[in-house]
Amino acid sequence: MGTNTGENICEEKMFNELFKIHSKDLYKFLFYKYGSENNPEDLVQEAFIKLWDNCRKVLPEKARAFLFTVANNQMLNELAKKKTVIKYNQEKPKGHTIESPEFIMEENEYMARLQGAIQDLTEEQRVTFLLNRIEGKKHKEIAEMLGISQKAVEKRIYTTLAIISGKVGKI
Amino acid sequence: MEKEEYIKKWLQGTLNEEEKGFFERSEEYKSLEKLSKSLVFFKAPEYDIHAGYERLRYVRSSKGKVVAMNWLSPFLKIAAVLILMAGSYFFFLYDAPTLVETMAAEKTELTLPDSSFVVLNAFSRLSFYEKKWKKERRVELEGEAFFKVAKGSGFDVLTSSGTISVLGTAFNVRNRKDYFEVICYEGSVEVQSAHEVVKLLPKQMFRMISGVVDKDNIAADNAPGWRVGESSFKSVPFLYVMQEFERQYNVSVTTRNVDTDQLFTGTFTHSGMSLALKSITIPLNLTYQIAEDKKIVLTGDIK
Repeated sequence: MGTNTGENICEEKMFNELFKIHSKDLYKFLFYKYGSENNPEDLVQEAFIKLWDNCRKVLPEKARAFLFTVANNQMLNELAKKKTVIKYNQEKPKGHTIESPEFIMEENEYMARLQGAIQDLTEEQRVTFLLNRIEGKKHKEIAEMLGISQKAVEKRIYTTLAIISGKVGKI
Repeated sequence: MEKEEYIKKWLQGTLNEEEKGFFERSEEYKSLEKLSKSLVFFKAPEYDIHAGYERLRYVRSSKGKVVAMNWLSPFLKIAAVLILMAGSYFFFLYDAPTLVETMAAEKTELTLPDSSFVVLNAFSRLSFYEKKWKKERRVELEGEAFFKVAKGSGFDVLTSSGTISVLGTAFNVRNRKDYFEVICYEGSVEVQSAHEVVKLLPKQMFRMISGVVDKDNIAADNAPGWRVGESSFKSVPFLYVMQEFERQYNVSVTTRNVDTDQLFTGTFTHSGMSLALKSITIPLNLTYQIAEDKKIVLTGDIK
């Protein structure tokens, strides 16, 4: 891919290829950064439209960096911006154990506290932490997406974990 | 090993068996495990790459960008050339008219490109095409002007009431609302109105008031009176005298019990309003009042 420098992003085939490779990660990134309420699908579209507009200037091997730079810089209109809410999936797979009403209530409270804690994180903390803990992204990969060092990613994950643990408390 | 170290290693999955066994018995581990299991429910929904791409293609094509990359730039080159051509046409060939205007109580003199001389009376407008001047000497006039035309080929004055063609002469054109008058002072003048063509010799006058044509000889000097600071009239309906007065003094004149159709012969000066008012009211046995705001009321004795 990246080795074929003769190809141009302006060509439909190449552009499609880049979309297939990067759109999913970009979507996850935007979802964890801004939350579902701020239309991460639209932000993916915007980033790729910017890439298309600059298709002559950006080499295919630089496309990923370009897309994530755009994603990081996407200035959400502060007035229009909605609270970053990342909802948990309510339909949990049915367990075989019979749960007592107290357990279910405690469980719901825990999930609500966790949702609140995630919501209160900064964009950078949230996207770093969730990409790592939920998506299993490596520190290196996250560092490239954010344009920061691996060390900073590592530190940020630990700090964020401490913040969340402090808020949800013990079980 | 510190608790923090354990957690960091656990985060990275780099605890060895011994450390793992120790850490899994701690309180921290239980809450971290609980957190890890719960976080899964916050997972982002799967992204539909195909649908996303289709939507992007749609947005892109509606923006017209695909087309733009392929042929917009040669098209722009052609457009640029066309604009350049149009621009040079306007710059070199297109001739914007030269316009001279006067306001009420104002007169102005100008010299045309062939050194013909024009004086514009109050509230008048003259325009001509400087670049076409060598080919045809032609001016458009609204209002009143005195011309002293240099010798040469035809010289045309276009007005809304008719065209005046001359060779080299001095003449005055008065083209006001419903009032058209040409007086020749030197040489000869040809007046083409909608109805007829009239040739004027010095001291002859052509006049058309509300479509009624009148030809007369006048005891004229070699220039119209307004050139030396007065307006002269010979058998002109009083209405037009009043209108000329309004233009010369920038006032509004209204009447009470006055027959504005009666003919007036005489002059009024431009250099003093009360004297001028006397000049036009006494012969007709009228009285005048100067109200505020430049309003003048003439009162007659018609019952």
